[in-house]
Amino acid sequence: MLTPAELVWLIAAVAKGDEAAFERLYAATRAKLFGVVLRILRRQDLAEEVIQEAYVKIWNSAGQFNPGLSSPITWMASIARNRAIDVVRKRTESSIEEEPAAMEVAADTPDPLARREMTEELKRLLECVGRLEPDRQKLVLLAYYNGWSREQLAAKFATPVNTVKTWLRRSMMDIRECLGLE
Amino acid sequence: MMAYSEDHIALAAEYALGTLDADERAQVETMMSVDKDFTAMVQAWEQKLGVLNQMVGSIEPRPEVWDKIRTAIGHSAPQEPLVLPQAAPPPPPVPDISELAVAMDDSNVIQLSAKVRRWRNIATLTTAIAAALVAMIAVQAWRPELLPEGIRPKKPRTQVVEVKVPAAPVPSAQYVAVLQKDVGSPAFILTVDGATKNFTVRKVGAAAEPGKSFELWLISDRLQRPRSLGVIGGSDFTARPVLSSYDADTINAATFAVTVEQAGGSPEGKPTSAPIYAGKLIETVPPAAAPPPAR
Repeated sequence: MLTPAELVWLIAAVAKGDEAAFERLYAATRAKLFGVVLRILRRQDLAEEVIQEAYVKIWNSAGQFNPGLSSPITWMASIARNRAIDVVRKRTESSIEEEPAAMEVAADTPDPLARREMTEELKRLLECVGRLEPDRQKLVLLAYYNGWSREQLAAKFATPVNTVKTWLRRSMMDIRECLGLE
Repeated sequence: MMAYSEDHIALAAEYALGTLDADERAQVETMMSVDKDFTAMVQAWEQKLGVLNQMVGSIEPRPEVWDKIRTAIGHSAPQEPLVLPQAAPPPPPVPDISELAVAMDDSNVIQLSAKVRRWRNIATLTTAIAAALVAMIAVQAWRPELLPEGIRPKKPRTQVVEVKVPAAPVPSAQYVAVLQKDVGSPAFILTVDGATKNFTVRKVGAAAEPGKSFELWLISDRLQRPRSLGVIGGSDFTARPVLSSYDADTINAATFAVTVEQAGGSPEGKPTSAPIYAGKLIETVPPAAAPPPAR
């Protein structure tokens, strides 16, 4: 993985239409972005489509990246993740029954290096999530990592959708206060 | 930045979290397109929550994905036209080389097309003869029937290559415990991999006093006494597999506690002082189980 500063530099080059920089940016970030969207979409074919669309969007909107607002990897992952969430929300509304058998769960390659790199920001956020009631911790993390809708969360927690809605909102407000966000 | 109502703040936060429905997401995207401050608020939430992705394992996409991305951006970027010589026969339609790579799912052809592409770039800078050659190679690979009898390849160059799609590995659950004395002063962060039960401890607080060591214990009501998981905090980062002998339920329900022991750890295999830091595991990255039905 390149350093954030190197990624910022590559995105700036991509904004000028530098295809070689774009290839390096792709090589450095594809596996992380694919891991994020595959967890949400749970289907290789859909995840590949979303990754394609995400990188085309990254290519086209590299000029809008503001390193003062976002870290490069979070900016890129947000583009991919938002696309993945859009896809699952639309699919859920049409028909969830079309879903083929879920992918088999395979063991992850342990990645202790990634954990070595756990940033201060992650520690701080986990601390704030850790202050929520245990059910709400799970709710927030399932929502983020698996991209579940309120309906899916309501089914998981055997609780009405409106209750999930209230819990989510309060949890986000609690996290906001804990992080000291404006 | 202007002041937003709590409704707006919650909307931005839930957009970043991902829990809005399709209509609400469209609403947020519309607001973002007209309101820069609201966009900044959404991005701030994306940035705050985005650090959670550090816990998600990397998975390599198939190489074909890059070919498709390159094709897609190739269409939107200006491309140099292929220069054909004046004297050449009427040029047959020259396919876009990148389309060729997609149309024939064939590694040989993809390799060839990459070469053709390189040649095409050189051709625009060098001679017209080279350009004609390139056009002919492209046609040979693409529409052999357009070529005169003599130089038509004997067989179509297309061949089917089976591409095996490996089952995509889905990351296992990741658990984290913040071991702290009180809220806001974490001393250690314990991470457990759900599949391997390997654990890692990061020291974020102070070091042990000289002549003392921090020892990590697993405390469970299923076990008679605390079990030592070893001395930690000697360096910033400790990784060990010793949890593998405990079952998942015990690990998930356990309290992880840290005591101060003599250098090297308690000689008796049990804690000699009260814990100074403790915490329980939170599931951070859940296993990719089948989602429950939407309703």
